[in-house]
Amino acid sequence: MTSPTAADVAPVEVQEPSIDTTLKVDQPWIVLVWNDPINLMSYVTYVLQKVFGYSHEKAESLMLDVHEKGRAVVSNGSKEKAELDVFRLHEHGLWATMQQD
Amino acid sequence: MAFGFKRTIQSKGPDRFIINLRDDLREVIAAVCDDVLAALDDENSPERDPMLRRVFPVAHASDESVNEAYRDLVHSDLLRTRREALERVSATARDTELDRATLETWMVGLNTVRLVLGTRLDVSEDGFPQLEPDDPELPAWALYEFLGVLVGMVVDALARTV
Repeated sequence: MTSPTAADVAPVEVQEPSIDTTLKVDQPWIVLVWNDPINLMSYVTYVLQKVFGYSHEKAESLMLDVHEKGRAVVSNGSKEKAELDVFRLHEHGLWATMQQD
Repeated sequence: MAFGFKRTIQSKGPDRFIINLRDDLREVIAAVCDDVLAALDDENSPERDPMLRRVFPVAHASDESVNEAYRDLVHSDLLRTRREALERVSATARDTELDRATLETWMVGLNTVRLVLGTRLDVSEDGFPQLEPDDPELPAWALYEFLGVLVGMVVDALARTV
C-alpha cells in the first residue's frame, strides 16, 4: 500500500491489533486481506469500515497489520459467510482470500 | 486539482459533494473508465492479464476447488458491478455535484482503473521509479499518480463525513 498524499501519513502511535479477540473458535473459515503495493492505506481502512461496519480505529489497526505483517485476518465464520466477505472485498479491489482455520 | 484555492472535493454534509476539477481532467477520468470497460469486453486486450489477477482475483491461495466454486458463484456479479461502476463514473465525470453513493462509486471505479494500470506497470512498494523524460511508460505513471491522488481525496472526503 502507498500513501501519496500528505493526509495519509501514519499515526504516531501504532496500536498492536489483536487478532485473537476477533476470532471465534467454533467458526472454521477465516478471511485474510493481503498487502499489495497499489491500494492506498486510507482506502483500505475506509473499505474495511464500510464492508464490515468496523470502527475507524479497528479498521485502521487491521490495515496497519496488513501493511506491516503482509496480511491480517479481517473476518471469520461459515464458508458461506467467508465467500460473501471475500466477494465484497474483491468488489472493492482488495486482495482477499479465505481458508479453513 | 484545480490548482486554485478551492479544495478539490468539498463536502456539503454527508450526502453532497462539490467536485472542483478542471474540464481536461474530467475528460481523462471518463476516458480511462471507458478504456477499462472496453478492455473488460476484449479477450485479446493487453490489460487482460492484470485484470484477471487483480480485478477478478482467486478466493483461495491454493485450493482450486474452492476457487472454481467461488468463480461460478460470483464472477458474473463481479463483472456486472465493475461494469456498472465504471459506466457510472464515466457518465458523471463532468458533474460538479455528486451524492455520497456516486462518490463511493467514483472511489471504487477509479480504484479499479488504478489496479489495472498499477499491475501493468508492475508497481512495487518503492513507488515512482526514476524515468527519463522520453520514457514511453512516463504518461502511464503520471496517470497512475494522478488517480492515486484523486482516490486519496475521494476517500478523505468520504471518511471525514462518515
